[in-house]
Amino acid sequence: MVKVMLWGSLAALAEGKPELEIEAKNIKQLLQRLAEDHPGLKPVLEKGVSVSIDGMMYNDAWFEEISSENEICILPRIEGG
Amino acid sequence: MRFEAPTSLNAAIELLENEAGVVRILAGGTDVLVQLRSGQVEPDLIVDIKRIEAMQTITEEDGGFRIGAAVCGAELGGHAGVCKLWPGVVEAVELIGSTQVQGRATMVGNLCNASPAADSVPAMVAAGATARVTGPEGSRDIPVEKIATGPGQTSLGRAELVESVYLPARGVHSSDAYLRFIPRTEMDIAVVGAGISIEMDGNGICTHARVALGAVGPRVMLVEDAATALIGTSIDEAALEALAQAASSAATPIDDKRGTVDFRIKVAGVLARRAAIIAVQRSRVD
Amino acid sequence: MGKQDRDFKAVGTRPLRPDGVEKVTGRAKFGADLSAPGMLVGRFLRSPHAHARIRSIDTSKAAALPGVKAVVTGDSFDITKVSSGNHDTLANVMARDKALYEGHAVAAIAAISVSIARKALKLIEVDYEVLPHVTDVDEAMAADAPLLHENMFTANLTPKPTKPSNIANFYEFGHGDIEAGFAKADVIIERSFKTAATHQGYIEPHACLANMTQDGQGELWCCTQGHFMVRNVCADLMGMEISKLRVTASEIGGGFGGKTTVFIDPVALMLSKLAGKPVKIVMSREEVFKASGPTSSTSMRIKIGATNDGRLTACEGEFNYQGGAYADSPVQFGAMSAFACYDLEHVKTVGYDVAANRPKNVAYRAPGAPMAAFAVESVMAEMADRLGLDQLEFRLKNAATEGTRSSYGPTYNSVGLTETIKAAQSHDHYSAPLGANQGRGIASGFWFNFGGQTAVSLNVQEDGTVNVTVGTPDIGGSRASMGLMVAEELGIEYDNIRCIIADTSSLGYNDVTDGSRTTFSSGLALINAAKDAKAKMCARAARIWDIPAEAVEWKDGCVQPAGANAGEFEPMSFAEIAANADNTGGPIAGHHEINASGAGVSFGTHMVDVEVDPDTGYVKILRYTVVQDAGKAVHPAYVEGQYQGGAVQGIGWALNEEYIYGEDGRLQNAGFLDYRMPVASDLPMIDTVIVEVPNPGHPYGVRGVGETSIVPPMAAIANAVSQAAGVRMTELPMSPPRVLKAMDDAKGG
Ligand SMILES: Cc1cc2nc3c(=O)[nH]c(=O)nc-3n(C[C@H](O)[C@H](O)[C@H](O)COP(=O)(O)OP(=O)(O)OC[C@H]3O[C@@H](n4cnc5c(N)ncnc54)[C@H](O)[C@@H]3O)c2cc1C
Repeated sequence: MVKVMLWGSLAALAEGKPELEIEAKNIKQLLQRLAEDHPGLKPVLEKGVSVSIDGMMYNDAWFEEISSENEICILPRIEGG
Repeated sequence: MRFEAPTSLNAAIELLENEAGVVRILAGGTDVLVQLRSGQVEPDLIVDIKRIEAMQTITEEDGGFRIGAAVCGAELGGHAGVCKLWPGVVEAVELIGSTQVQGRATMVGNLCNASPAADSVPAMVAAGATARVTGPEGSRDIPVEKIATGPGQTSLGRAELVESVYLPARGVHSSDAYLRFIPRTEMDIAVVGAGISIEMDGNGICTHARVALGAVGPRVMLVEDAATALIGTSIDEAALEALAQAASSAATPIDDKRGTVDFRIKVAGVLARRAAIIAVQRSRVD
Repeated sequence: MGKQDRDFKAVGTRPLRPDGVEKVTGRAKFGADLSAPGMLVGRFLRSPHAHARIRSIDTSKAAALPGVKAVVTGDSFDITKVSSGNHDTLANVMARDKALYEGHAVAAIAAISVSIARKALKLIEVDYEVLPHVTDVDEAMAADAPLLHENMFTANLTPKPTKPSNIANFYEFGHGDIEAGFAKADVIIERSFKTAATHQGYIEPHACLANMTQDGQGELWCCTQGHFMVRNVCADLMGMEISKLRVTASEIGGGFGGKTTVFIDPVALMLSKLAGKPVKIVMSREEVFKASGPTSSTSMRIKIGATNDGRLTACEGEFNYQGGAYADSPVQFGAMSAFACYDLEHVKTVGYDVAANRPKNVAYRAPGAPMAAFAVESVMAEMADRLGLDQLEFRLKNAATEGTRSSYGPTYNSVGLTETIKAAQSHDHYSAPLGANQGRGIASGFWFNFGGQTAVSLNVQEDGTVNVTVGTPDIGGSRASMGLMVAEELGIEYDNIRCIIADTSSLGYNDVTDGSRTTFSSGLALINAAKDAKAKMCARAARIWDIPAEAVEWKDGCVQPAGANAGEFEPMSFAEIAANADNTGGPIAGHHEINASGAGVSFGTHMVDVEVDPDTGYVKILRYTVVQDAGKAVHPAYVEGQYQGGAVQGIGWALNEEYIYGEDGRLQNAGFLDYRMPVASDLPMIDTVIVEVPNPGHPYGVRGVGETSIVPPMAAIANAVSQAAGVRMTELPMSPPRVLKAMDDAKGG
């Protein structure tokens, strides 16, 4: 089980829960299960998000491993200029 | 589009007279070329006047100076006599553009482009300069403030051009100054411009003054009330305050991308006052 | 200042830039500098209306004009074959049923000369039904505002809206209980702010040369921050296979985020396809202003609570960002970054992404963060004054440090905000005296930084020199930085390394040069590619010596036996191994492909002195100091350049730059005369201080430095102007008329 933090308005789409517990070993499983368990999140996840693991930002990184030790946040997809 | 570069004034006038379509006279081209490239004008004929020798010279005349229409800013700024007699006019011309632009742009082009914000025009108006207008019917001398009739519009008739501008002689304790307001330090268009010319007597009393404002109306304006505020005074604090008031009340600006009505009205007074202080200082140095 | 233990040899030096001679002699080839035999010119017809339905477009007369070779409209592209993620991009490139802003492209033609092209454009007849328009963000959010898109329902809002609006997206961030936080405050300050839209203002207009051949292959030369992005988007819009389109990035005259999308490239390709000839398009400056670029105009509200001893108890912000015709504002980043500098128990931000009849928003350096920082740091300055605290002490007291939970969610690892504040405190600028009508402003700022997809290759030549190939266009001097990192890793001379930006067929996919990612990501990949090459060279040396590969090691640019047991051999130099490549197995190369993560966040603190003319409201910048954490400055001169550039763009944004619209919804100042960027004589020399708190996510500790420097300037300048003018400035730009009015209003005059 990993704990995932959702940003405020995303939490609203997941029945108002800012923190979810998900059974996942990597980012791929995490995103898949999130969408399955909380269909409200699906459109946002499909549009693309960034995942922060212990303060490091990941875009498109399915195989990045995660465990209950990690702090995991789903964030809007980070871009730059 | 035809391009002609005649070498005499008569040839230039003939070319202008014989063209039925849209004509543009080209001096430095720093306005004309911008207008051409943006598609603002599509002339049938361009007459370049820079090859006309008589128009490229600055000559002394009755204690004043006659400045040919093709004399560029850099040449004017390099002329010791004009700089000494009319420092305000020279500083106004030198504000135009950059070093590169100064190598092309002319004072007469600035005048005939008829922009209400043209920098050299308030200074010329304050100086009491006259323009020699020449056409098929001959020449006439008119005050420079009579050239522009509105933004981009002049009183020049068909086939007429400005041959030269005359800056008159002036007394001992006299000088002039020009200030403009721009939000940056250069390469910008005046949001307000103020030109002032004064003459003092031996006792430090102002005997003669001319005050002109730019960018606060459809054309550069000569503000007589502002001059009256100075004449007969030692240009002390009270006179400066009256000058600022008169300049602000004369201003009839519009709100646009470059400034608001309130701003321009207030700054017209501020600049008139500051320019007057500089002119007074200069008149003492001489 | 948290220096690393490691000694660097090449990294941290300031060699000459590899592109310097070409650029100063005018020989560097930019977007508009390439020509091809038989080339046509492409020109656009653009909407004169801010909002209009396009009833019909008749191009027949234009097409019939001799010399016209192709005409393109929205219908030339088959939207049904375009991926949904690119629909807005396509509609922006060529309007479909509606023109959504003045300058929106509605048709384009290719002709044999500019004058024919101009004539042809006048022959195109467009039947418009003019619609009511809206350009202001607050007005666009109103319930009765003209609607840009009938199908725009605010996303992420619960409950789901039942009516369409101009609000495309809603965001909320934060943690804690902000009401409880405000209850603990001794002082609460709440203020509203507005900022005008600004353009990135790159000196080089968009330009490209497209060549489609009859067999469906394409070549494109263009100025862009990301030619792989250009390729993928254009291939999608053109219905081509990706591998059939080869895109080469020209030298680039600035991008600042504005060249991270396409405007003219797909149209040039389509014109070329229809005409069967190469087509070159170069935007005019007016087009650049009207149809590319700008970032959001904004309307914001900030509320901050603090105790008397200067501890923040709660921070709240509402951010409304106008995102142009398709609502592409970076409001989420504004809302995420707004309070990212501070260690907060209770924080909440909300953001609204709003469509309006203005050009499609494109990223601009640290997208979204500078405006939010302007609002937040203005209130922070006011709070410090109200509490009677020193500006820097107040920030230090609340600064985020390692272990702080950020306002946007994650907990920070190693960060350098505190170090930048302390460096500012000890800088002589901070204690320099001020004169009459002068003020000093302070502000801190944050940016995320980013890694991303990166592929590089490194080829060792037989004379011991090295060619390095990356796929990230060099906007700020990255080629020099790449050379330095490779020199460091290989232990060879910087002068023996030449870095180029390869075309899209020569490397794997590379993300755009943005997010301050290039020196970080391409550098990271190159360090790994160099390691790859080194391993191969070790193996070659071992075979020459006939000892096991494990028995050798790399030291100071040479291979040597790893220990006494390995045998007695003189170290073999890089050049020697390179010279023997043919006999030892052929060419030696290193490669690396990665989706880089670990870009460290970055903080900066700025200090500025200004003088305000009390009679005209004119603001003069007297002195400016940028302090920023670079992690590790690979080429310090370039890092300083990034800091200075950010400050200068921020000065423009703060003082005079703005998109000015008329009642008719048309842009009034589409040129550099009236879109007032600072000129050189407006600026003092910008002082810089490089702080180095190593990024744990990079082998050399590098953090991106390209964006953070534009975050604090507007706030710092607003704080300085407010102090000098004696009145709090809450709207950008602080142009003379606005400053003068604020001063007069404050005097009650
Ligand atoms: C980068 C730049 C910066 C500038 N900055 C300033 C500035 O700071 N302040 C300012 O006031 N202006 C500025 N200008 C505008 C311009 O440079 C000035 O108006 C300049 O004085 C025009 O002179 P010219 O010789 O180049 O005129 P041209 O462009 O040759 O002509 C201007 C107009 O006058 C007409 N004309 C020229 N000569 C005659 C003549 N002898 N008789 C009749 N008509 C004539 C032309 O037909 C045309 O309509 C700037 C322009 C540029 C490109």
